[in-house]
Amino acid sequence: MAPKPKDKLKPSPSSSQPPPAIEDLFTSLSKHIQRSDFEQAAKVADQVLSIAPGDEDAIRCKVVALIKDDRIEDALSMIQSSQKVPFDFGFFKAYCLYRQNKLDEALESLKRQEGNSATMLLESQILYRLGKMDACMDIYQKLQKSKIDSIEINSVAGLVASGRASEVQRMLDTLR
Amino acid sequence: FPPAFQATPRNPIVLDLAYNFIEFPSLENRMKKDKKGFISRLWR
Repeated sequence: MAPKPKDKLKPSPSSSQPPPAIEDLFTSLSKHIQRSDFEQAAKVADQVLSIAPGDEDAIRCKVVALIKDDRIEDALSMIQSSQKVPFDFGFFKAYCLYRQNKLDEALESLKRQEGNSATMLLESQILYRLGKMDACMDIYQKLQKSKIDSIEINSVAGLVASGRASEVQRMLDTLR
Repeated sequence: FPPAFQATPRNPIVLDLAYNFIEFPSLENRMKKDKKGFISRLWR
């Protein structure tokens, strides 16, 4: 059988061949990401890590690729096994725990994060599931000016779920 | 017949907006530089 033209993506079994250059791997990784081929992206990230263990970009790419490939459990164990590296996966970890409905753990993981739009959004979604509507709505109040797409959908849900449906119209007007 | 349509309440929709903040890092600086392209000339 003729060799496939793209077999440089696979780790070469023969030790005589040098491993692919890291720049080439990142180029191919970037292409997989652009094509939303997250399964391949995770594999190439693994290849980078076999050459350069602890490479922050590769670890991040792998975690994000696993999440986007709906492999939440794998993403979490990747995060767990990266605990020795100095960078912070608190937000990703909290997101994975949220997806597994481990809501208290997710909140705990978010606590150590600096407050920004991403962490606040995630926190509000966790609080919504926990039924803590007042705290949830406090966050949407704070996020009103941050121009996040579709945030009015979740804000309406929060108002309705907390029995404040009469405020929906006014909230939508202020967002406009 | 047929009976008139009736509005029924439903649970409000919640979107997973946090998902949009799960982003790949920029790999621009990790890839092989193109041979002296337009951009790299600008940067020198």
